Amino acid sequence: MTRYGMLIDTTNCIGCYACRVACQRKNGLDPEMDYITYEERETGTFPMVHVESIPMQCMHCEDAPCVKVCPTGATYTTDDGIVRVDESRCIGCKYCMAACPYQVRVHNPQTGVVEKCRLCAADAYESGTETCSCVEACITGCRIFGDLDDPESELSKAIVKKNALPLAGDLTKAKIFYVR
Amino acid sequence: MVYEPVWGPVIAWYLFLAGLGAGAFVTSAFLGWRHPEATFMRKVGYIITPIVVAIGLVLLMLDAEAGFQNPMRFIYLLTNFTSVMTWGVVFLSAFMVVALIALVLNLRKITIPTWLDVIGVVLALCVAVYTGALLGVCNTYPLWNNALLPILFLVSAMSTGMAIVLGIAAVGHADEFNRVGVLKKFHFCLPIIELVLIASLLFITSSNSEAGFASVVSLVSGNWAVLFWVGLIGVGLVIPTVLETWLLFFSAKEFEESRLAHGISLASDVGVLIGGFLLRLLIVLAALPVTIIVP
Amino acid sequence: MTEHAITRRSFLARSAGTCAVVAGSGFIGFSAWEQARANDAAPAPEKTAHSLCNSCSSKCGFTAQVTDGRIGIMIGDKDHPLCDGTLCARGYGYASIAYSKDRLTNPLKKNDAGEFEAITWDQAFSEIGEKVQDILKTSGPAALAMIQDPRPSGSFYTKRFMHALGSANVYTHGVSCNMSKNSGMTQALGVADFTSDVANTDMVMFIGRSYADGIRPSSLHALQKARERGAHIVIVDPRYNSSCLYADEWVPIKPATDLALILGMAHVLVEQDTYDHDYVENYTVGFEDWAERLKEYTPQWASEICGVPAETIERLANEMWEAAPKASIEQGWRAATGCSHQNSGETARALCLFNTLLGCWGLEGGAFFPASMSAGKLEDERFAAPEAPTEKILGQAEFPLSSGGMGVATYALQQVAEGNVKGVFFYQSNCVGGYSNPATLAKFLESAELSVAIDVQMTETCYACQYVLPDTSYLERLEVPEFVGGVIPAVSLRDRVIDKIHPETKPVDEIFVGLADACGVGEYFQFTVDELADAQLKTIGLSLDELREKGTITFPEKQLVYELKTKWKTPSEKVQFTSEACENAGFPASPGWLEPLVMPKEGEFRLIGGKQNIHAHTQTVNIESLMAITKQYGLDRVWMNAQVAADMGIEDGDEIEITSSEFSGKTRVKVTERLEPTSIYLPSHYGRMIPEQQTSYGVGLSQMDFVPFHIEPGYGGTMSQEVIVTVSKVGA
Repeated sequence: MTRYGMLIDTTNCIGCYACRVACQRKNGLDPEMDYITYEERETGTFPMVHVESIPMQCMHCEDAPCVKVCPTGATYTTDDGIVRVDESRCIGCKYCMAACPYQVRVHNPQTGVVEKCRLCAADAYESGTETCSCVEACITGCRIFGDLDDPESELSKAIVKKNALPLAGDLTKAKIFYVR
Repeated sequence: MVYEPVWGPVIAWYLFLAGLGAGAFVTSAFLGWRHPEATFMRKVGYIITPIVVAIGLVLLMLDAEAGFQNPMRFIYLLTNFTSVMTWGVVFLSAFMVVALIALVLNLRKITIPTWLDVIGVVLALCVAVYTGALLGVCNTYPLWNNALLPILFLVSAMSTGMAIVLGIAAVGHADEFNRVGVLKKFHFCLPIIELVLIASLLFITSSNSEAGFASVVSLVSGNWAVLFWVGLIGVGLVIPTVLETWLLFFSAKEFEESRLAHGISLASDVGVLIGGFLLRLLIVLAALPVTIIVP
Repeated sequence: MTEHAITRRSFLARSAGTCAVVAGSGFIGFSAWEQARANDAAPAPEKTAHSLCNSCSSKCGFTAQVTDGRIGIMIGDKDHPLCDGTLCARGYGYASIAYSKDRLTNPLKKNDAGEFEAITWDQAFSEIGEKVQDILKTSGPAALAMIQDPRPSGSFYTKRFMHALGSANVYTHGVSCNMSKNSGMTQALGVADFTSDVANTDMVMFIGRSYADGIRPSSLHALQKARERGAHIVIVDPRYNSSCLYADEWVPIKPATDLALILGMAHVLVEQDTYDHDYVENYTVGFEDWAERLKEYTPQWASEICGVPAETIERLANEMWEAAPKASIEQGWRAATGCSHQNSGETARALCLFNTLLGCWGLEGGAFFPASMSAGKLEDERFAAPEAPTEKILGQAEFPLSSGGMGVATYALQQVAEGNVKGVFFYQSNCVGGYSNPATLAKFLESAELSVAIDVQMTETCYACQYVLPDTSYLERLEVPEFVGGVIPAVSLRDRVIDKIHPETKPVDEIFVGLADACGVGEYFQFTVDELADAQLKTIGLSLDELREKGTITFPEKQLVYELKTKWKTPSEKVQFTSEACENAGFPASPGWLEPLVMPKEGEFRLIGGKQNIHAHTQTVNIESLMAITKQYGLDRVWMNAQVAADMGIEDGDEIEITSSEFSGKTRVKVTERLEPTSIYLPSHYGRMIPEQQTSYGVGLSQMDFVPFHIEPGYGGTMSQEVIVTVSKVGA
């Protein structure tokens, strides 16, 4: 089986927003629509401080609350483990947004549809970039896309090596792993 | 993490109106059983039910912009039965059908068969519970994700349904109003039960997680404190309870049947309706996800 | 990977299945939806083209995909020495300038009521031409000035145009960027730039520069490599900037006192006799003078001025020496050495001299001078350059150390008010908005007989001019090839990516040809930019078509070779611890402590600026996708040290009022542990008050509004951080 996922190494993330804007460009999003959001955490006291920048996007949860609650089946999980939205079925009830614990679903004010990250690498050969636009854009190479089920993939190896974990533990069985 | 509530007043109205409709239908059915002579009030209940449920559904559809722009997509609503909303659509549709049949029969002065009332009541209870379960299954919001919420919404639905029928009767048909003692006593109990349920909900939610605690804090002493204490607890629950206690147990019978007492009853019922709406609104707006503290 | 990807066919199969289910339940007619789903994948791009980003001065190369005539995906060019395969958020965002609703679409002329009216190009050219010729007749070519932010075609055409008119007054944005650094370094080394070999270093110290904020991707990659190699990375900055992620030490320093830190560290090395004797003896002059001067600059002395503990200063100096020659202080940019303080030029000079003590010049892991490449001489008569004016650029005499190649643009504007400059041109330069105090600069311009701004959107500078000429966006034009220095030098191209959007806009080359014709010097512009580009490339054995195809072409044969640099372009051909020019300009022969113009007293702060990683000065703030980030994350807030804020009863998110001698404004505060207590940090980008720039209008405050108009003596920098402010909580 193939289970697509991603690793984000926040120890390498400068919080530069390049992934967000590149994603908007690739997916033709309006300026306010963000598939990628950021949490910034400042710890310590002057002068011993530390800042962590945490990019967040659809976690492609195996136990996806959004898939469960979507009344029209517009949100579904592909055989490859990608949580996707069939926009032609979405009525825009925003139940998925309410159910998503990561707040990474975005309501498109033009169409009324709720959208989100679709791990664009999975259809990259159709849409022009070699991997997800966020992976490609990341200046510092924080992101690795790959197959979680392939123990030989760069992703799987990096997750083991860097002890990467989903952001919220087992909460939703997320497939985006974080190094923090 | 900065959190913006996804749903707002429109959904709160929807939840409130669906519950109100369910409560009104149950009230009418109950009247048919215990106070068959209260025909005006029964009619009021049967009329109100489909109207408020329909308004609620229209609000829901308006809020669902994409569906509003492409109405054909609503057909898909019946495809994912893991979604509580899908079940809600089933319950609401069935309930709407029963409510409309009941209304037609009532207006044509045809006796509504008991089995239809029973089906209607069962569906009404399903609808009322559904409005709570819709939020309740979101397991990342401690304020929603507990077994008390559907019960609380059910009790509130019954309370508001009775309040609207009684309120209209107090103004429109004083004779009937004076005679439905059993209904009034039920109606009197419900806000008290609600108070107990709300207190339990807040106690349990505040102790089960940080997000739960934060949600409760935002209700009792944070952003929503004024609306919570003055609106929901005061106007919506305590004041109606105090007024009804006085009218039912401490005032003279003559006063209880006076115009002034009817006015007071009406005020109390309006308070219950306001409280019913605020309950949904506050629960919708104040809930914070467990991930709020993760990053 | 692709074999597992969702194929269009599996998509359709899925949707067909759904239709069957639904159709079975009595509904039909879903073909439109099926079609919509099939379109889910993006349509294939119709073409790709190479261009150079225009969001900042780095001009990173990228490949753009064009779909339906619009630019879509952008990918950084791997071979480009500055971008190294990736772009920053500015780059992705700034491309939408082409479609901005705020583009200038017609030539404009200010009427008597002070409002702009659209005019024709013919009218614009003829009126401007007439005025230029008047000025030439009455006041001579020195009464004309051109201010431009260097871009490939812009640099070529502005200079050629001015030289054709006989004027040497071609200025860049240097005064508000790297003027003092380049000028100070020139005094010490005879060159204006060096590159710390960050990727291979054992220790590097950054003073006021942040590779992760003013992003050049390749520099950031080098910093990452340094961390991976375990290099000691020290960041000296009043602000815990984004690069601190990679540093193992943040040294918060009082702004404007970096010179004291460097002198203190130099004192340690010289006193201990731990410096590269061999290098100092053989390849430098004037060391004794500096050694003598350094005696008083003990770490204790420095510590009292800059706030860095004396032990830290001593330790850092020793660590640098231990790592030498694989160690250097990075050259800095706008903040400490570039243009910010009265002592910026002297700081740059001292910085070079400290590095000289380490003996790091030209060595791997030390500091090198990028390899470069340039076009050869053009044989074709048409391209023959007009004779260069013999007189010096206006301001050179008054600021003798300032780099003539940049010129003191703010001084030139001041001379407008003095009546010595009568006509001013601006190309792609928001001089008024950012070079010094905007109100003062706008006032200077009021006296001009002629003022012309060429830009893509209505800037503060355009607003202050009589004529505004609409440029095409950078995506709509071909420019002169850009030669880029680096470890491996390259040439890169800004090609036409999309067709012209607004018919009445003109690309920069055509605008200058039109102006030249109108001013009577059209004979110097008898070629198209395509012909020029091709001719330049032919001189190095390339062609325009070839560069169009590849975007960036490298010259591996010119690759940098590490070797100790022993020959310098100074008058003595050695590194100069002492400089006669500096002495003549009123500075000590070798750099000593020079007080900043102002220092905050109790209850006062120094207002510092600095780049955020999504904006480049005022260039990108009107871009919707970038401003959306600013608004969503409150990036326009002013930073304040947490302890100071607590003492003043100010909480995060409060509205505060900031007041200087020049300006007072209110904004929200970000209370943070990431700032040195005597500073207030205001991001440099905001506070745009031009209604025509609808996206940026009224968001935040502009740092330069608070700064008085002044010029760094000798060096010509704008002293952008020599300003004291007081802060109060609004409503308190």
